Amino acid sequence: MSVLDAARPARPAGRPRRDRRFLRALPYLLPAGVLYVWFLAYPMADSVRLSFFEWTGFRTDEPLFVGWRNYSRMLTADPVFWTSLRNSVVWVVLSLLVPMTLSLLLALGLNRKMLGRNLFRAVFYIPAVFASITVAAMWRWIYNPTLGALNQALSSVGLESWAQQWLGDPRFALYSVFVASVWQGVGFTMVLFLAGLQQVPQELVDAAKVDGANRWHVFREVTVPALRPTTVVVVILTIINSLKVFDLVVGMTGGGPAQSTQVLALWSYTQSFSNHQFGAGGATATVLLLLSLVLVVPYLAWSMKEDR
Amino acid sequence: MLKNRTRAAAAALMSATVLLTACGGGSGGGGDEELTVWMLTLEPTQKEAVEQVVAAYEEANPGSTVTVEERAVDAHKDALRQVAGTDAGPDVYQYWMGPGLGGELVEAGMSRDLSDYYDQYGWADRFSEAAMSNVTQYGGMMGVPWVVQGEGLFYNKELFEQAGITAPPTTYDELVAAADQLIAAGTTPIEFGGTVNWHVMRLLDSLLETGCGAETHDALKAGEADWSAEACVDDAFTELKTWGDEYVNDGFMGISNDESSQLFYTGQAAMALEGAWFNANIAENGMDPSTVGIVPFPTGTGRLYGFAEGFYVNESSDRADEAAKFLDFATSTDVQQDVVGAFSPLSPNTEVAPATGNPLHELWPPIFDEATGLYLNGDQALSLDATTEYWRIQNSVLTGGLAPADAGAEFQKYLDANA
Repeated sequence: MSVLDAARPARPAGRPRRDRRFLRALPYLLPAGVLYVWFLAYPMADSVRLSFFEWTGFRTDEPLFVGWRNYSRMLTADPVFWTSLRNSVVWVVLSLLVPMTLSLLLALGLNRKMLGRNLFRAVFYIPAVFASITVAAMWRWIYNPTLGALNQALSSVGLESWAQQWLGDPRFALYSVFVASVWQGVGFTMVLFLAGLQQVPQELVDAAKVDGANRWHVFREVTVPALRPTTVVVVILTIINSLKVFDLVVGMTGGGPAQSTQVLALWSYTQSFSNHQFGAGGATATVLLLLSLVLVVPYLAWSMKEDR
Repeated sequence: MLKNRTRAAAAALMSATVLLTACGGGSGGGGDEELTVWMLTLEPTQKEAVEQVVAAYEEANPGSTVTVEERAVDAHKDALRQVAGTDAGPDVYQYWMGPGLGGELVEAGMSRDLSDYYDQYGWADRFSEAAMSNVTQYGGMMGVPWVVQGEGLFYNKELFEQAGITAPPTTYDELVAAADQLIAAGTTPIEFGGTVNWHVMRLLDSLLETGCGAETHDALKAGEADWSAEACVDDAFTELKTWGDEYVNDGFMGISNDESSQLFYTGQAAMALEGAWFNANIAENGMDPSTVGIVPFPTGTGRLYGFAEGFYVNESSDRADEAAKFLDFATSTDVQQDVVGAFSPLSPNTEVAPATGNPLHELWPPIFDEATGLYLNGDQALSLDATTEYWRIQNSVLTGGLAPADAGAEFQKYLDANA
């Protein structure tokens, strides 16, 4: 040990190299750091802080510290909170199942050499370019109970009895909005998967085929493992986007009928900005934040561990 | 070259200063005679009327300028909340005068007590009793009335005639009988759009007024009566469910009021529960106004459904004198006579003759004359959060998620938990 120490050149006195590098980088990091703290960390922390106060949002009204009251009220006396929580969870689960599967299938299909491949890719991606409020307006017309394309199409093929109040019936409204969300979102995820598929080593595919693997085996043993980094990104983005779904619901139902399509993000907004109950809105936002962390962090940790 | 650059920089600085000064607005910027007025988004005819008033005021008061800023409903509410207690707000703002909306801003200290100006300008004698009741309800003199809107049943005379209805309904039983006759004739009796909660709310408000009477209805809305203990509340929600199931257009919960109004304009629905603003909408949507009649919702209490909007002077404004001078001008008889009809067929100024030019305008004065008072729209009478819950319960009953008999208790539970 002492021999090794003696052989190593003497390190100059002072701060370790890593510290010095950090100090040198600090001025460059500072602007981004300040912006991050000011626009992201502070509002999040302030929202959590507000959840312990009762406040109307008026500057003339002094926030009143109420401890955990907003949370206890939310859990026991808020008639909409549990509906919005359930809907948010349902939305996450459905988003992980339906659009992810569809987009993977589309990506696999459109990754093959075929006539009009780029055209089809563009066609499936175009809805992702539309603003959500435009998508909402379009689908509201499709679902219109009397003039809408869906009910008229059902009538034209003799299925009048299947016609429904797609947005006016609490049994269907959430799922009707979700269909619009799938239509809008599947193209973006498809592009992510397409990008991931470009990373699948062709030599491994060829080797598997030489070894006698059929299509299913190639997909399971080669494609899926190679898509792993993409899948991690897609799952995390899907969870986050599902939890913060807002604009499509606002545009199509406003959370109705009878708050049956309410979701956590919209309910937090409604409480704060429509009801002027910023404490209650902050409590709902805090639940949403915790739910996001609970869902995303373990998955991220697990996938990073697997990668190692 | 250097000189040119210096000049350019100086010019840019001056331009920026001028721009910033111009953008400053509010009570903090500009000259002494510059007023900022915040209003709700104006329809074209309303915009023309407001511009006419402002131009006339500026001409009559050289050196004075009035800047009108318009915002949509939610943006207007948000903007006023954000500027409360700061000097960034307007000198004058338009707002609904009911306790749930105007009352919130009065409570937040955003409304100046105008008692001195009422004395100075004699405003108490200028405005109708119905309008003044909105000013005095909070103590002191809060706001200056701008519009008093009445709401009633607009009905298609031809569809009524085809269904064998010889006279518009004057009692609730007659209204239900008329609805049955319309159904028998194959016509949708009344249209509503359920995605905007406040549209169907008009029916619920009117049914509560009908079933509970004026005094109990007011007490319920003011939180002074128990929603779970009044049998009339159950009756009102039961009637609401009946109307939703039998008399309102199919699929109404999935469409907006704009979409449902098309049913009335195109003769597919016989009635619409709307306000005086609907006079212009009917004409603009190609329906002949002379084929339409208006009758108050027959509640039996004698009160008319309606609400008021007014101009409030911001407590933070340091131009209250100028603001009062402008409001005196805007609500004066001559000026109101020129613009009446743009906002409502009737001016809150009692000396102003009703608007002409649309046959429906002439129907409102006798309706107001016969009314013994106003019963407010629910979203103006209740607090914001209670309104959200009121709508949820209303829609839950309509969509079958809540039994009408449980609705009153459900709402009272919310009120108790949030008292």
